[in-house]
Amino acid sequence: MSHPQGNNPNGARARGGCSHCGNPIPARGGMETADLAFCCQGCEAVYRILQSQGLGQYYDLQGQSPWIRSSQPASPSPENYAYLEDPEFLKDYAEAGAGCMEFYLEGVHCAACLWLVEKLPEHAAGVESAELDLGKSVAKIRLKPGGSFAQAAETLASWGYKPHAIQQDGEAERLKRRENRSLLTRLGVAAACTGNLMLMSVSLYGGAKGGPARLFEWISFLIFLPVLFYSAVPFYQSCLSSWRTRQLSIDVPVMLAVLVGSLTSIVNLLRGSDLIYFDSLAALVFLLLVSRYLLRRIQQGILNSSHLLHFLAPSLAKRWNAATGAFEESAALRLKVGDLVLVEENEAIPADGVIRKGRSAINQALLNGESLPLEAGPGDAAYAGTVNLSAPLEIEVTATGNASRLGKILREIESGHLKKASIVQFADRLSKWFVGGVLGAAALVLLYFASQGQIESGLSRALALIIVTCPCTLAFATPLALSLSLEHAARKGVLIKGADILEKLTQSDAILLDKTGTLTEGRLELLQWLELSDSKVPLQQIACALESKSRHPIAQALKRHFQTECAGLAPLRIENLRETLGRGVEGEYQGHAYEIRAIHFEAPKALSHTPRPHTRIGLWRDGQLVAQALLGDCLRSDAKPSLAKLQALGLRPFILSGDNSEAVRRIGEELRIPCFRQWANVSPEGKLAILRGFPKGVMVGDGANDAMALSSAFVGVAVQGSMEVSLRAADVYLSQAGLQALVETFEASRETLRVVKRNFAFSLFYNLVGGGAAILGFVHPLVAAVLMPISSLSVLSSSLWGTRKLRRWRAFPS
Amino acid sequence: MNVIYLLVPLALILSGSFLAAYIWCARHGQYEDLTTPPHRIFLEDEQKGQERHGL
Repeated sequence: MSHPQGNNPNGARARGGCSHCGNPIPARGGMETADLAFCCQGCEAVYRILQSQGLGQYYDLQGQSPWIRSSQPASPSPENYAYLEDPEFLKDYAEAGAGCMEFYLEGVHCAACLWLVEKLPEHAAGVESAELDLGKSVAKIRLKPGGSFAQAAETLASWGYKPHAIQQDGEAERLKRRENRSLLTRLGVAAACTGNLMLMSVSLYGGAKGGPARLFEWISFLIFLPVLFYSAVPFYQSCLSSWRTRQLSIDVPVMLAVLVGSLTSIVNLLRGSDLIYFDSLAALVFLLLVSRYLLRRIQQGILNSSHLLHFLAPSLAKRWNAATGAFEESAALRLKVGDLVLVEENEAIPADGVIRKGRSAINQALLNGESLPLEAGPGDAAYAGTVNLSAPLEIEVTATGNASRLGKILREIESGHLKKASIVQFADRLSKWFVGGVLGAAALVLLYFASQGQIESGLSRALALIIVTCPCTLAFATPLALSLSLEHAARKGVLIKGADILEKLTQSDAILLDKTGTLTEGRLELLQWLELSDSKVPLQQIACALESKSRHPIAQALKRHFQTECAGLAPLRIENLRETLGRGVEGEYQGHAYEIRAIHFEAPKALSHTPRPHTRIGLWRDGQLVAQALLGDCLRSDAKPSLAKLQALGLRPFILSGDNSEAVRRIGEELRIPCFRQWANVSPEGKLAILRGFPKGVMVGDGANDAMALSSAFVGVAVQGSMEVSLRAADVYLSQAGLQALVETFEASRETLRVVKRNFAFSLFYNLVGGGAAILGFVHPLVAAVLMPISSLSVLSSSLWGTRKLRRWRAFPS
Repeated sequence: MNVIYLLVPLALILSGSFLAAYIWCARHGQYEDLTTPPHRIFLEDEQKGQERHGL
């Protein structure tokens, strides 16, 4: 019986989206047939390849298995991976002698991807094994002798997973790994000892007396020693470092409890008394280590999600080799300052630099979201990640990798993640007072009872007080709840710079939206095509042919619109095809001179402010206008419902756009946003001024136009397309277009804060009641040592459990 | 009751060996990746099923 080949890709298609990635099919540019639909050519290509290689089962699995991350459309054409064969490159990136290298894969989102990637050995010759880490999207590929990484990379790329080589573990990585393992080991030792201690104690609780009881007590002591001298060490270390800075950390009461408790127990053991607390102390240490480990893993996990951004500059570069006198291909990662690189048409620029030769148009969308390209020539700066459009450029490198503009921006984002929310800062401050208060009270109790001659009672009460009161909410539960939400948001494609932003989201009262990319599709679409003559000349095909070589957004819009008309037909032969930057294209066909250019041509300096000056273009034949096209942005399908939900959440919507008033009014009408809530033709400075009137406003936008506004807003949200500069300025980045994810994030942030407040309330109640009872003598230290971990555990579980709404948000698929 | 003198050390040795196994696992990075193995379990079943049916 043969396995089903997945001819009906139920998983993604059933969601009503692309048969491959499940994302919604865009109004234009998608492909639909009877039972299949694709959102882009990349997805369709991957689908065909997978079917042809007999891997259709992928789609069945996709339907059955849970998704751990939102999916992305497949990257289109695979690039050249020849640099993976370079021995110099391999020295830095592959594990020496083991033929093993790690790759970050784009687009890994579910168990079906796991299945597919691990099938690599069967479909790429020379690959011994491929192991994927779903959480990090990192695949470890091992080669057979004589195998090639380039082939493995090409196969993975053809399956829709764009691979990026990861450099071998640096010192920091290794250190982090070692620390994690050591913490885990200590945790395990504490767990084992706690369990055994509790077993030993059963007999003692059961009423054993005399010889056997003594025996068990001594065995308990022995089992406790590893906990005291090994597992609890991180607490001693943290206390020592906080002692040096004269700060009271929350580990102080823990350390005190452990040391005083151990001492008391040992003394009692020697005296023959039965007041020994080894089991409780071990449980204390164990549970606190668990909290630490959990928190650490979650916080480290978040930083990994943002690594996705690291791989935006191209991997290949053509570097000038003075020895051979020619440009040769080499890995972009190995470029040095002063190298001369050649960037051809339609190639991304590999590093920051200065143009030395050549004049071309550069698409800076990656840095500033402008869809219209910038003209650049010798002496002008060029930045890593931007795309050179029309002519080859020779660039002298001035900054690479982390030192480039792109690299710097990405690193700022990573460091920003650790910024503390005000509620966490509040918790920190509170915990210091808390610790001081508890220690003070314990000292007072001890002194009081000592003065009364009942030092044993006093000691017992003081110990119980120190043990029972638990600052766990402050130390762990709050950061845990916040970090968990940040992590889940990142998995859904919403990258939030820090926990404080989550907080701010709950406090905002207005939302100001830029038109393009958030409410609209964000790219030029052909809205109207008017032919002015009745001739049978195929004007649409001529237009397509004229624009065939151009990468200009207008050309793209034209070609997309006429895709169906021009598909299948042979492209017309145009003579003397010329593109003039910033003006248009022209050529000759069948003896007539054709030209496509804008009808209302505006001065070049307008290019830097208004994103869309060209909205009307015309096709001329021999100087006569024969066809007109109106280009513009069309509204996204999810704009209206998302806006409605945002209003329900208490955020008043406004439109703040640099685009012309007609376009803004049109969108505003469709969305039912009143005129007095719309601003059009706003300059970047204008946006700043308007934002000053919204102290709690959320600004949503993209592009260089909005960078200033985004950084000055209460919360700045950057939308897909203008990642880098916007991310430097903004607090939240949405990697998927549309407001849906943002709406969910708002809701989730409110729920998260609800969880935190719930934890605080419980903790307050518990500490007051427990502490009071301990002082009054109702709590035996043994009981205290049981209660404290229970409270700590319950507050941690409360963070992990969240609320019902939060759990729904965290689950996939949305 | 004297059997205790045998049982307790035995129990400790047993738990000690488990602890040693755990420490070995932790040291060798078996707990690095906790998200993937749960998914991988389901996939392996599929492949084994195929083999059993003689395909």
